[in-house]
Amino acid sequence: MAAKEHTKRSLSGEKGKTSLSSSLRRMILGIIFIVIVSFLLSVNFITNNERLAYTERNADSLLRTLSSRIASDIENYKELSRIIMTDDKLVTFLRADSESVDIGMINDTRYGVMDILYVTEGVDSVMVLREDMIMMATNRFFYKYDYDVMNEEEWKEDILKAKGRAVVTLNCNGVASRSDNKPVITIGREINDILSQKRTGVMLMNISVDTLAAMLNQLNYDENICILGTDKTFLAGNRELIQYYTDEFLSEKVVSVSHNTENGKVLISGCKVEGLPIVIMNISPYAPEGIPYTVLYVLLLLLSVFIVSAILVAAYIRNNITKPVFDLSKIMDSNKQTGELKQIEKEMKYSELDMLKTSYNSMIDYVKELIGAVIDKEKTVQRMEMRVLQEQIKPHFLYNSIETIGYLALEAGADKVHNALETLGSFYRNFLSKGSREITLSREIAIVKDYLSLQKLRYGDIIEDEYDISDDVKNFIVPKLILQPIVENSIYHGIRIKGEKGTIKITGRLIDSALHLIVRDTGVGMSKEQIEEILNKKRDDSAEDESASFGLWDTIERIRIFCDREDVVRIRSEAGEYTEIELIIYSEGLWKNE
Amino acid sequence: MSRRYRVMLIDDEESARKLMRASIDWEELGLEVVGEAASGIEAINTIDDIKPDIAFVDISMPFMNGIEFTEVATERYPDLIIIIMTAFDEFEYARKCVSLPVFEYMLKPMVRSEVTQVLERVRERLDNIRDDSSEFDGDDGLSIPADINPTDQIKRFVEENYTDSQLNLAFVAQHFGFSSSYLSRKFKQDTGKNFVEYLTELRMNKAMKLAQNNTKMFLAASEVGIPDPNYFSRCFKKFTGKSYSDYMSEKRS
Repeated sequence: MAAKEHTKRSLSGEKGKTSLSSSLRRMILGIIFIVIVSFLLSVNFITNNERLAYTERNADSLLRTLSSRIASDIENYKELSRIIMTDDKLVTFLRADSESVDIGMINDTRYGVMDILYVTEGVDSVMVLREDMIMMATNRFFYKYDYDVMNEEEWKEDILKAKGRAVVTLNCNGVASRSDNKPVITIGREINDILSQKRTGVMLMNISVDTLAAMLNQLNYDENICILGTDKTFLAGNRELIQYYTDEFLSEKVVSVSHNTENGKVLISGCKVEGLPIVIMNISPYAPEGIPYTVLYVLLLLLSVFIVSAILVAAYIRNNITKPVFDLSKIMDSNKQTGELKQIEKEMKYSELDMLKTSYNSMIDYVKELIGAVIDKEKTVQRMEMRVLQEQIKPHFLYNSIETIGYLALEAGADKVHNALETLGSFYRNFLSKGSREITLSREIAIVKDYLSLQKLRYGDIIEDEYDISDDVKNFIVPKLILQPIVENSIYHGIRIKGEKGTIKITGRLIDSALHLIVRDTGVGMSKEQIEEILNKKRDDSAEDESASFGLWDTIERIRIFCDREDVVRIRSEAGEYTEIELIIYSEGLWKNE
Repeated sequence: MSRRYRVMLIDDEESARKLMRASIDWEELGLEVVGEAASGIEAINTIDDIKPDIAFVDISMPFMNGIEFTEVATERYPDLIIIIMTAFDEFEYARKCVSLPVFEYMLKPMVRSEVTQVLERVRERLDNIRDDSSEFDGDDGLSIPADINPTDQIKRFVEENYTDSQLNLAFVAQHFGFSSSYLSRKFKQDTGKNFVEYLTELRMNKAMKLAQNNTKMFLAASEVGIPDPNYFSRCFKKFTGKSYSDYMSEKRS
């Protein structure tokens, strides 16, 4: 049990130590996780950037186009204002003395101007103010005039500074405004007389913001574009964009600002139209068109290639390092459990593992060598002990003495003594039997016969012996001295204490290629308890137990070891009647021809 | 055909020899114990006179043990049946006998029934041999060159080699290419002496000289080619009528 638990623990590794494979798995998973996260983060970053850049680029080009368009439109109106300036009727109106100007003249002029205006669209009104502040205006009833402002010099300062070039402002520089409060874009310029080169008046040409709205409408920009005056006056487009207005948009370069709206992230871009007091704003959502799909696909491919190769590396390491290590450890463990010191035969693919295998094998060799040395030593010690024992028995001396005494007896006519000595000599000769541990059954029987005839000398006629040994078992090889202790047991614990004549019968038969030897005595018999005790006595108990049945048990144990199995003895007995001890000796092919 | 086969017992234990002689019913087996030797040396010296058919040889004997004797004897007496007697503690040594043409080797102490069994087999064997060779039982089949008298040569050879303890009639006969019986007869005829007597005389004369020089008996024994001092002493007494020590002290005074 303890050994089992130990194995279990050693297989799963010591507590607190992780196995290479699990740490490897964790590492690989960790790397894959980190790679995926950084991939997602960078994809997100790149996508956002790209979309922003894309949207910005779009907005930029849109605003530039629009602003140049507006600028060119305004340029056209400026040209128109120059044409109006050279109109004969207007020139006449401006050259005329203050006194000669009458309503009719003004109307004439107005019609002249209007004639020109018919050709174009978008001009809401043209106002011309003479130096004496007499004014001619088309569409004049739609305007409210602020005469206070008009009489000041301030509103025309910029225009006069421009020295004849057109100046674009909003809402007539405050001189007038449409009565419906609709804003207008005003192109103002100084009018000089062609001949005298003297300033004769100022013209203000008001352009309706409807032209801008129409343009946006035509371009389908109603929703995303808002056109403002630099003073935040709404001119055209999507009025809602005003809320996003910042002063940054007053630059002529396109400026973009991101805003989060309820419809998602939007980019607000804006710029001032070059040379005009007009700001254009554009709103555009982050375009999905900006996502660099090709790049993403490449990245995704790289990612999957990486993950696959990581898994392959893990599998490779598992198959070529972890698994062989496991296999090695399993073989080593089985060595430990079986106790066989086997070399590892399995081929190792790699030199490192081979190194491990080789060192283990050489260790096994060394251990075997050590064990062999210990066994050899043990054997030598045993042999020495045996020699000392034999030396002490001194058979040569014993035999010579027996022969000498035998001769003396013979000489003295004591044939019986000679017979007894001869039997004793024969007994010892077979008993010591050249020191071998295994002998033929017939020799074993001879020992018993000699033993019994000597015992009969001692105890007279209380013992009778019978033998029934079939011819086919006479040369069966048995451990030496298996019958004598049993017979001895029969005499001392069976027949003698019964106090009457007894018979010992030894039967030998071959049954199923096993030798069955039965020693039957007609002694007092054995109790069940005694039988159980003898059969079940454990090896460890023998040391302290010097009881009567020791010789018997020792014999049984020797047969067990010889046959390498447990069921070698059967004991049958009836109290007061008999005891029958059956020895079953299995020995494969151990036959000897004598 | 009913000549009894001759048995020689070679054992340094007197009781063993006696027991063997007494306990076996030799007559019944058609055998006869004709001689004993207490050592290999003695056996070598007496075997030519005893002429045994069967020899029981004990292994452990001093001066020349049973194996050495067997080696010599099988060479000189190829027809001799040798039965080795051994105690089990000489077992390893006895295994050498397996390579020698030994009839049987038996364990000591002897058991009559076993010895009897072996002897019955021996007799059978001898009977067969005798039947086969009975027709050629003529003496010497060897041709002797008539012009050369070998006796002088033999005498010289023996004088030169008598200190060799293994020297005996059979050896000399083999050396000169005669049969033992021819040599024995021829030698007696020419010298008036038995070969064995002649050899013993040579050795004893030398021994007497050694005794006069105060040489210790066992040294003298080995010097004259009888390294078994017991047998030497018996030979000496038989030859001079005195024991070696008596002879030595007599000569000194």
